[in-house]
Amino acid sequence: MRLPRFEYLRPETLGQALSLLAVHKDDAKILAGGTDLLVRMKKGLLKPKALISLKALNELSYIKKEDACIKIGAGASLADIIASDIIQKEAKALFQACGKVGAITLQHYTGTIGGNILQDNRCHHYNQSGLHRSGRQACHKDGGKICYARDEADRCNSTCQSDGATALMALGAGITLARKGGERTIDLADFYTTDGIMPFAIESHELLKEIIIPVQGAKSAYTRLAYRSAIDYPIVCAGVLLKPSDTQKDKIDEARIVVGAIARSPLFLVRESSSLKGKNLNDTDAFKKAADSSMNSASTFAVHNVGSTLKYRCDMVSEMVFQALKKSARAALPTKE
Amino acid sequence: MEKILITLNINDKPCEVMVYPNDTLLEVLRDELDLTGSKESCGEGVCGSCTVHMDNKPVRSCLTLAMEATGTKIKTVEGLASGDDLSDLQQSFIDHGAVQCGFCTPGMLMSADALLKDNPRPDEKTIRKALAGNICRCTGYAKIIEAVAHTDNPQDQCPDCKTGSKTKE
Repeated sequence: MRLPRFEYLRPETLGQALSLLAVHKDDAKILAGGTDLLVRMKKGLLKPKALISLKALNELSYIKKEDACIKIGAGASLADIIASDIIQKEAKALFQACGKVGAITLQHYTGTIGGNILQDNRCHHYNQSGLHRSGRQACHKDGGKICYARDEADRCNSTCQSDGATALMALGAGITLARKGGERTIDLADFYTTDGIMPFAIESHELLKEIIIPVQGAKSAYTRLAYRSAIDYPIVCAGVLLKPSDTQKDKIDEARIVVGAIARSPLFLVRESSSLKGKNLNDTDAFKKAADSSMNSASTFAVHNVGSTLKYRCDMVSEMVFQALKKSARAALPTKE
Repeated sequence: MEKILITLNINDKPCEVMVYPNDTLLEVLRDELDLTGSKESCGEGVCGSCTVHMDNKPVRSCLTLAMEATGTKIKTVEGLASGDDLSDLQQSFIDHGAVQCGFCTPGMLMSADALLKDNPRPDEKTIRKALAGNICRCTGYAKIIEAVAHTDNPQDQCPDCKTGSKTKE
């Protein structure tokens, strides 16, 4: 498969990259690892006039701890994140999620965490070859007015299948978007537009620069369901964070439940999360209840577009959330001496 | 769109080659430099048959732009053997019958070679994980995993290790 033609730009500093982006805007795409972008370009889903390569940019691949936060440069490779002690100890969900992306020996060295968050939403009616798509009318995401995933849908129902984003949202992460002459930091949960065609609230002249994970003495876990253990996107995944109370070590002070690969963005389930507040860390009944409720809340968004049957995926939401809750509770429980 | 002259370091030899910005490393290796060991199968990073080493890390050459490979050290399957002397891993693949149609073999060899550099005596689980990104349509995985496991660690009870035990001599 040939790539369509484009102009190749290789800035050497972040400033240069942002200037280029300010000039080219929508005509340019950022090339980091390329494991998502180049595949979409090969399939003809995307024809940018220019690619701005971050290959020569070293200033975006760092992982450090600063002011009770873990700061990750958006250009850090998945392999670096998996190998990092800080992430393994204090952001377990991200560690578990990154280990599941693609195949361990291949995508991990080129794939970046920024690219993982910004990987485009998918749908098995849209992510097809040009030949396949030419045989029928274009869908919403392809510039048409039809949705093949849900009959008579007036908008795109593509699914966000990012492992990293689900884990990061559970960890309560924020992201910094840089543009020429400034930057802004927002909550990852506010980064999504609920529009399947352009799922991210990022301007065309902005670049994802940094991911900030608050460290708050909480334990997190990530679980996912996929057909194969490698080279596959999740069909359901869940990220969970449990923070034990400062005074009573076996009580939950704060919980965050996030379900991914079900809707246009990872879903932060506020009601289910707050239902766990004040509960015991070994209260599996409460976990089961929260997991079942998560299934009901998440299923309303689900469409049949990423493989497997819809019913199975919805049923498994409960299981994924329950397992993640159990995993993080086990890690959060005070060890008996 | 014009061709651009780039220099690639392939198997420790500098190669000057004219490429388009949209040429992938795989296309340049196969079509311009006649290094046809690396294969194109899926073209979208799923099958692993185009795996090459870039700075000693296995990457998919079908999803790497040739322009992005400048300034790095590339090693292809042709660089595993020194002259006519096959590497231990390659010999082990032959001894254990780990090659059926052979299309996935270059990718398997490159992924396994990277693993063996880090961990010369990996257990089966580690090998399976390391080769998870390579697909063999002949489904000859058992032999491939055996070949990798026995490369540096020949087994007495393995009939294949005894016949061509280059590593034992």
